[in-house]
Amino acid sequence: MGEAEAKTTATPGTARPSEARAPATPAEVARGVLMGGLGWVLPGLGHLLLQKFDRAAVFFFSVTAMAGLGLAMGAKLYPLSFDRSQGMFVLLLHLLGFLGDLGAGGYYLAARWAGLGENYMPRALGDYGTVFFLCAGLLNLLTALDAYDIAVGKKE
Amino acid sequence: MSELPLIELTHLQAMALFAFFTSLVFSFLTKYGWKERAKYFLWCFFLFMAVGVGLGWLMYPFPY
Repeated sequence: MGEAEAKTTATPGTARPSEARAPATPAEVARGVLMGGLGWVLPGLGHLLLQKFDRAAVFFFSVTAMAGLGLAMGAKLYPLSFDRSQGMFVLLLHLLGFLGDLGAGGYYLAARWAGLGENYMPRALGDYGTVFFLCAGLLNLLTALDAYDIAVGKKE
Repeated sequence: MSELPLIELTHLQAMALFAFFTSLVFSFLTKYGWKERAKYFLWCFFLFMAVGVGLGWLMYPFPY
């Protein structure tokens, strides 16, 4: 099987790459970054502008629900902090948590601006809420990368 | 602004909601066609739930 054939052959139903094509032009990359960035700010917006309506709706609904549920459970959002008083390991965990939360894009910025998620809730559901919001951020990053791939022609 | 009104969920409900939304996003990210997406969604959802409940049972004898 040739390399080009291998690239275009995929398991039925799996997300398949587009036909073998030339590397993306700078204009395509810029469009991809724009679509990915918009998808990061508001989940599904990049897909909406790329006319992938089903994915846009599902990503918006899912990420919004997870972020909202997380906050409603009592999530503690990670702020950007370089406090080393608890050691480097805790600092690293906090920075990773911040990056994950930041993946929720506009929702994270809006929640921080509104003062949500500032207090730690001493209950199990509060910890679950923190994980919900974190996963909403990580899923949103995946969807933003998906929008980028579609915009540059790597995916259909 | 203060916090949102808190909702109450059981651990199983929280796990099921997590599994539902995560599986939904995974199925739309990785599959094409409604049939393939539905199959993948159900498989992911089942695995999330089964692994969660299974690990819960495995950890049951251990004190925290």
